[in-house]
Amino acid sequence: MNKQTESEQKLEQVLNQALKGLPPLRAPSTLESRVVNELARRALLPWWRASFASWPMSARVGFALISAALAAATILGGVSAYLGDRSFNEVSALVLSWMQPFLAVMSSAGGLAALLVRVIPPVWLYGTLGLGILLYVTLFGLGAAAYRTLYLRSSLAGDDL
Amino acid sequence: MRAYQDMVFSTAARLAGNDTQAEDIAQEVFIRAYEHFSDLRGSVTAGGWLKTVTTNLSLNYLTRYRKRWRLFSEMRSSSEDSEADGPELDWEVPDTILADLSAEQRSAIVEAALKQLPDHQRLPLVLYHFEDLSYQEIADKLNVSLTKIKTDIRRARGALLPLLQSCGGVQDTLDS
Repeated sequence: MNKQTESEQKLEQVLNQALKGLPPLRAPSTLESRVVNELARRALLPWWRASFASWPMSARVGFALISAALAAATILGGVSAYLGDRSFNEVSALVLSWMQPFLAVMSSAGGLAALLVRVIPPVWLYGTLGLGILLYVTLFGLGAAAYRTLYLRSSLAGDDL
Repeated sequence: MRAYQDMVFSTAARLAGNDTQAEDIAQEVFIRAYEHFSDLRGSVTAGGWLKTVTTNLSLNYLTRYRKRWRLFSEMRSSSEDSEADGPELDWEVPDTILADLSAEQRSAIVEAALKQLPDHQRLPLVLYHFEDLSYQEIADKLNVSLTKIKTDIRRARGALLPLLQSCGGVQDTLDS
């Protein structure tokens, strides 16, 4: 066992002796009244302003059922009002017609990407990729530097939080 | 409540390193105890329950503010750590410390010294020496690696010793 390890073990024992058996700190005399006042304040709140977990079971079940019914009615009502008497095929065609512009844009973007890969020299592509990575690393480094400068120094001084 | 308020407040104050925050945490602990009063009433494990809730709430309170910085905190290399957290232990460790002071005097000195440690050293040190948790339990609770916990506790001890010695010397002088 080297000297450093021996010193560390001795330090642990010495500190343990110093820290063990210390009397607890005396709580502030205001603590009890603070707790009582806060409990009284919360007790005065109507049940519906308390947290959902403390609502009566019947209220919780009722709230869940009413919410689910409202959501279902809204969705079903909206869909049926919009579609009216249309058949399944008409609905399918309608959905497809909504998706057509999106599919066209995706197809054009794919074609453009393929064209660029063919036309642009590979060096440019790798260079752009490298530049992107460099910018990412730079921003990450700036974040770390900001952390060390603005936060860590105050944390080490023990005045954070 | 009176039977446990000093224990709850002490635990919160040592972990948070701040009496005002400790009072907020203690208030929340007793409100939760009130909500579980039917379970805790007459229970022999009420003290343990309160201690566990206090520890967890204190850690939640602290990690709420620390979470956003954890990434960069974990990024620091060991060489930067040693530079930032002070040198390795390179002095003679005394056989006893603060032994000739009363419990109240020791308590005042220890609490003042603990407040001077940064969070990442004070938290594991308090959990180890006051709450009797193992290194692994502390690592799990704080969600950091076992190696980092061991390093932080070792450095916390190294930082605490001179603080206690200097405060103890001042106390001796004041007493005499």
